[in-house]
Amino acid sequence: MNNMDIDHDLNNLLEIEEDEEDEILLSPATLVKIIEEAWLNEKFSPEILPNKQEYVDLLLGQLAAMDDNLENASDRDIKKGVHQLEVDRLKFLVCSYLRTRLEKIETYIEHILKQENERIEKGEEMYLTDAEFNFANNFKEGVDKHFDNLMGIHPTMPISWKNQIVQPNINSFVFAKSKADIESILIDEGNDDETVYVNKDSQIIISYNSVSNLVKNGDVQLI
Amino acid sequence: MALRYSNCRNVWRKALELIKELDRCTGTLPPYNSDLVSEVNNEIKHLIESNLEDARLDEENRSSGDVSLLPTIICRHSAIARNFRCLLAYHYNRLRCIRTMRWEFGGILPPDIKENLSQLELEWFSKYSNSLAQYMRSVGEEGINLTVNLKPPKSVHIEVRCLVDYGKYEMNNGTIVFLKKNTRHFLPRLECEELIRQGVFEHVVS
Repeated sequence: MNNMDIDHDLNNLLEIEEDEEDEILLSPATLVKIIEEAWLNEKFSPEILPNKQEYVDLLLGQLAAMDDNLENASDRDIKKGVHQLEVDRLKFLVCSYLRTRLEKIETYIEHILKQENERIEKGEEMYLTDAEFNFANNFKEGVDKHFDNLMGIHPTMPISWKNQIVQPNINSFVFAKSKADIESILIDEGNDDETVYVNKDSQIIISYNSVSNLVKNGDVQLI
Repeated sequence: MALRYSNCRNVWRKALELIKELDRCTGTLPPYNSDLVSEVNNEIKHLIESNLEDARLDEENRSSGDVSLLPTIICRHSAIARNFRCLLAYHYNRLRCIRTMRWEFGGILPPDIKENLSQLELEWFSKYSNSLAQYMRSVGEEGINLTVNLKPPKSVHIEVRCLVDYGKYEMNNGTIVFLKKNTRHFLPRLECEELIRQGVFEHVVS
């Protein structure tokens, strides 16, 4: 393997074929940008967002390929260090993104599982990946078992504590940047007149609740 | 009917002591205080039983228009709820702390920390550890270790000082380095990250 291969990797990473007919071309730069945005959104939004599993898997696949190429590159080459750093940066990005999601799952375990189960019932797409869902169920099982063992102090013990679940504060304020012209954002749900118009690329501080749908469909980027 | 003030007065002390104990040791895990926990448990048991008894009496008195027991019952009830919350907070925050340790030390805890965990917590830890490992294996094609890459990298190599006589250490690329106390090394960051967490290395920031 020589440097040409690594350069080739970085510059012209991938070409995904989703279906035979439905071919999507995704440049590596776009892929990284998608993950970066997902990471920022996940970091700043109070609730868990729909997963980006396909992109994460793609990037991980690419990173593995690049790792292989780097292993074969000569240690003396000055370019190797630069590439290595870039690969490390991307790894941090993916790891941090996945970690943030796990932390949210752990903190809001009851709330998230309840929502996911509602989504399953309605046949909507789930926010968690299969692996995350498994993890969440295992985690809940463990915590439930732990507290059931601890709190069985008295047979007539009230069990109302089980209903007090930790919920994300979706009304917390977030910094957001608009990626498109948005006609109207409803600020006050009870009152239809309270809307704002947001230009493309303008930045606002707003209650997360008002933009949650826009964040999920990608019109607004949290910063 | 004497109100049992004498044992009501100290009702919240013990539970509060649990919380204070955790609060004093932020970032570290104090030994599981099973004595105090069982004292609080007994206190709750005691309160519940006296309340049940008084509730029965109150029912009888109610017919003659006597509601003098009601305030006591309400008082005890909120004491129970409060103790309960304290217990929940104590245990939940310990779990959070143990969870953080899973990320720092990996699946096997150092013995001195292990001593501080209760049996139930040890069980919880191994379950958590397993499900986390299972999750990390199932991401991507080959799995991914999320416990490394905790900070955004600034350079590929970092300078570290060795704090203990570690002996030989084989790096991922097969190179063997000899780690002696007080020696300085310039090594790939990835290799160091875990050793730093284990206290073998100290990151030298120049």
